[in-house]
Amino acid sequence: MVRLSQWLLKEAGTGVNKTLSDILVCPLSKQALRVCEEPPSLISDSIGVSFPIKDGIPCLVPTDGKILDTDDTMKHDNAADDSVNNK
Amino acid sequence: MHSLQFSVPLLPTSRFKRHSVRCASDRQQLFNRIAPVYDNLNDLLSLGQHRIWKRMAVSWSGAKTGDSLLDLCCGSGDLTFLMSEKAGADGKVIGLDFSKEQLSIASSRQYLLSKACYNNIEWVEGDALDLPFSNGYFDAITMGYGLRNVVDKRRAMQEMFRVLKPGSRVSILDFNKSMQPFTALFQEWMIDNVVVPTATVYGLAKEYQYLKTSIDEFLTGKELEKLALDAGFSYARHYEIGGGLMGNLVATR
Repeated sequence: MVRLSQWLLKEAGTGVNKTLSDILVCPLSKQALRVCEEPPSLISDSIGVSFPIKDGIPCLVPTDGKILDTDDTMKHDNAADDSVNNK
Repeated sequence: MHSLQFSVPLLPTSRFKRHSVRCASDRQQLFNRIAPVYDNLNDLLSLGQHRIWKRMAVSWSGAKTGDSLLDLCCGSGDLTFLMSEKAGADGKVIGLDFSKEQLSIASSRQYLLSKACYNNIEWVEGDALDLPFSNGYFDAITMGYGLRNVVDKRRAMQEMFRVLKPGSRVSILDFNKSMQPFTALFQEWMIDNVVVPTATVYGLAKEYQYLKTSIDEFLTGKELEKLALDAGFSYARHYEIGGGLMGNLVATR
């Protein structure tokens, strides 16, 4: 039981693995998703919605999605710009 | 926010006493509630036969080593684990369900079974009517005891068609809505006299009474073949198994 809890915590911490994030798309727009580490989620920039990842399982039922307000999307855009400039 | 939850109209007449489980969220909650005993009840009620039917469903899907596979409405993962064995280390299997409780059990089983090949499985909470996958991705799809429970079967078929590679197959196992009066009567008798009393012991009488309604509202084999062809599949064939109590639809894109 202890091993199981440790394994679940590890899975939750790492969010979703890269292979899965490559396979998955937004359930509504069918466009690519962006991984967000904190809080662990998948962002659909095409429709401005974030889908949570719980215990390592992406929750992509459309009603699980949370509409991002403009501040959230701008913060992500700035972070993306910074990482591009730093390269 | 786009919402998928809508009600299907009540049927005008039914011989059966019915617990109304109309919209998607009712069904989601039902599957969350039965999750803890789902596997045990399947074994008990089918006397272990469901394992054979599921192996047949996987064979019919054409799944093979190295494939990218999808198990829809995966529940606690029975078909997913079988698909995983077919895919092997170089393949990938996605188990998708809209019940968090069922996925949680599936994920725990993956850990407890701890066979190395099950590392090729990923669990996704999703909706069969809006699949989070791009077009033409999968080499094969299975769906066990799921199609009968989706609120829009046409749309589910269209989504399966969309995410399948050309030439690939979907294998859909479910109860058979039989046109043979004896089979239909026997099925009804089994549910009334075996399934529901057993489920009652687990405190799930109403949830398993839903089974009768859902079979009543389901499609016959011929209707399922037509549904697949209408969705664009080039070939569709429905096989009756388990003495006619169960059926497996195989459709090729």
